[in-house]
Amino acid sequence: MSYLNQPDYVCYVCNCGSLKPISKIYFCRHCSKIRCGYCVCQEVDSHYCPNCMENLPSSEVRLKKNKCSNCFKCPCCFQTLSTRAGHVPLRVAPADAEDSKDVKTTPKKVYYLSCSLCRWTSRDAGIPDQSMATGGWPEQENPHTYRINTLIDYHKILASIEKQQSEKKKFRPKHPYMQIAMFRITSAMVRKHIGHPTKPTTESTDQPSPAVASTEVEELPTDIFTEPVEVTKITTLEQRLQQPDIQTENVNELRPQHRQLLVRRSQRCRVCEHNLCKPDFCSQSAKFKIQLAAFYHVPEVRIVTCEPLRPGKSSELLLKFCNPTQHQTQVVLLPLDTPMTPILTIVDEKEEVKQDNAQQESESPNLLPSIVRQVPVVEETKPIRIIANADVVFPQNCLILPRRDDAAEYDDTGDTHNFQDDPKFVIWRKGNKAVIKLHVTPHENIEENNNRPVVIGFVMQYRYVNTITTLEHKAPQKLDLKVKLYLTIGNIVGSA
Amino acid sequence: MNSFINRRTNVKIAVGALVCEESILKGDITIGPNTIVHPKASIIAEAGPIIIGEGNIIEEMATIVNRLPVDAPEPTTIPVQIIGSYNVFETDCTCEAFKVGDCNILESKAYVGREVELTNGCIIGASCSLTESDTIPEDTIIYGSECQRREMHGKPYPPISQIEFLLKILPTYHHIRKPNIVPTKNEGGL
Repeated sequence: MSYLNQPDYVCYVCNCGSLKPISKIYFCRHCSKIRCGYCVCQEVDSHYCPNCMENLPSSEVRLKKNKCSNCFKCPCCFQTLSTRAGHVPLRVAPADAEDSKDVKTTPKKVYYLSCSLCRWTSRDAGIPDQSMATGGWPEQENPHTYRINTLIDYHKILASIEKQQSEKKKFRPKHPYMQIAMFRITSAMVRKHIGHPTKPTTESTDQPSPAVASTEVEELPTDIFTEPVEVTKITTLEQRLQQPDIQTENVNELRPQHRQLLVRRSQRCRVCEHNLCKPDFCSQSAKFKIQLAAFYHVPEVRIVTCEPLRPGKSSELLLKFCNPTQHQTQVVLLPLDTPMTPILTIVDEKEEVKQDNAQQESESPNLLPSIVRQVPVVEETKPIRIIANADVVFPQNCLILPRRDDAAEYDDTGDTHNFQDDPKFVIWRKGNKAVIKLHVTPHENIEENNNRPVVIGFVMQYRYVNTITTLEHKAPQKLDLKVKLYLTIGNIVGSA
Repeated sequence: MNSFINRRTNVKIAVGALVCEESILKGDITIGPNTIVHPKASIIAEAGPIIIGEGNIIEEMATIVNRLPVDAPEPTTIPVQIIGSYNVFETDCTCEAFKVGDCNILESKAYVGREVELTNGCIIGASCSLTESDTIPEDTIIYGSECQRREMHGKPYPPISQIEFLLKILPTYHHIRKPNIVPTKNEGGL
C-alpha cells in the first residue's frame, strides 16, 4: 500500500530510461530486462461493465457503442443508478354503479431509477415508471442519427472501393479467364475486369451533403440580461459533456445514460512479444494468468533510516534489501558508471554456455505469426534527468540473500543460515531480508534552502536464476543482471 | 445528586418520545412526541434552550448543539435552537443551525454551522459541511465532495416506518428515559 500513497523514494531505471518505483515495472523473463508501462505493448483483452461485471465480446461492444445495456449512470453526479421498487395504487375504474362501493386500489409494483448520492430519480426527469425491473427504459434519440448513419455508410463504401483497388493491384493474373473459372468472381468484378464502368452514378448520389461552415450565430434572447439566473436549473459543463449528443441546458431534461464499459488490458514485451501481464479473463476475478511484475523477480530496496544530511559530511544510510525469488541471490552495489550489460555467470552444464549466450544475444524469437505481429516500436532511450548529488562509499563485499520462504514467517526458531557477514556492513538479517549500512556524503554545493532533496544513485547487480529456459535447455541460467537505482534520501539539514 | 435532579427537570420529554438513557443531554431541552434519540447521541444546550419537534430521529454520535461562536459578543436575548419535525440526523453529523425546518436529512458526518437556516425538505449529504451564513432553500440537496447543490422534485418522505420500527426495537435493548410532560403542554412549545 505504501507504494501507492507515498512519493517514489526508490526509483528503478527501466530500459527505456524512465524512472519508476518497483511496483510499477515489469520484468521480462525472456529478455531478462526491466520493462515499464511506457515500453510495453498494451492490448485490450476484454470489455466489461464496471457495475454488473458482465463480459462482452468485442463485436457486441461495437454494436452497443461501448456501453452496457443494463446499467445506467446518474446524469447529475455520474454514479451508478439503482433500480427502486415502489407501489402505486392503481385505481380500477368502476364498470357499473353497483361496483362503486368496492372500488379496489390494487397495489401494483412499479420500478424507477434512483441515485443514492444526489437522490436524482427517473421521476424527476418525468420518465414514466416501468412495470419490469429489468428495464425497457426509453432510449434517448440522438438528433443527428440520420447524418451520422449516412456518413458511416459513405465511408464504408469508400473503404470497400479502396480495398478493391488494392486487391486489383495485388494480382495481375496472366490468364484472366482462368482466374474467373477458378475463383467465383461476381458479375460486378467481371464487369470491372472487362472495363465496363459498373455504376458510375451511384458514387455521386451516395456522397452526403458536405458540412457547411456558417458565420451567423443566433442572437441571444433579450431576457438573458433581465432574467435572474437559477444555477440549480442549468446543467453544468461536465453534465453536458457526459451526454455529448444532446448537451441539454436544463436540468430537467437530463436522461439516464448507459454505463460505459471498461477494458482489461494485457501487457506484452515489445521486443520478444511475450506476455508480461495477462489478467484473468473473468471480470470478477482479480487474479492474473501471467504476472511478470518486477516485484516478484528483482530485489526490492527500501530506505530504513538516514542520519541528518549535511553537505560535505558523511551520514549513515540504512537500506533494506528483500529477495522475492525462490533462489538465493547475491547483491553487489556498484557506482553509476558501471556498464549495464548482463553477465551470464554459471550454467550447470558447461557445454550449453555458448548456446545460451548466443540465444541471449539475438533476443527471444517472436512467437506470433508474421501477420498478427506488429512491427516492434522501439523508442529511443530517454535521458535520465535526475542527477545524483551525493557520493556513496560502495562496499567491497557482496550481500547474499537467501531464497524467499513463505513458511519462515511462522517459524520462530530463528535463522539457520550461517552467513559470514561483516557486522559493519550487514546490520540485520532475517529470512530473505537484510539491512545494510552505507555512508553517504552529500555534495558541498547543496544548500539547505533550495529545496532540492539529496539523491543517490547506484547500480545494483543481482544474481537472477532464469527458470524459463529450463524447458528449452534443461538447465537454469544464472545471470548477473544490473539495474540502476535512484534513491531520494532526504533534505539537507543545516549547513556544513 | 443535585445535578441529577437539575438535569431531569431541564430535559422535557413528551409522551411517546423515545430517549435512550445513554444519550448525552445537557441544558434546557424539549423533545417532542415520537422523536427518537439513540444511545450516545448528544444534545447540548449551552447558550440557550433546544426545542425538538415531532418524529425526529437522532442517531448515534449525532450532535445537536446550541452554542455561540467563541468570539461572539454576549447576546441580548437568549438564543433558542428550534428543530422542526420529521428530521433525520444520521450517525456522526453535527447540527449547530439555530433553525431547522421539517423533513430535513443530515447524512453521516454532515456539518451544519450556526449561521445556517435549514428550511424544509433539505438533504445535507454525507460529509458535506455548511459553515457560512446561509438559508438553504426548500428541497435542496447538497451532495458530493464539492458540496454541489441540486433542487429535488418533492420532499423526502417522513421516516414513519423507521420510527415505528425503532419504537418497537430500541426499548428491548436499552434503558429509556421516562417522558415527563404530557403532549398537550408540548404543543404550545412547538
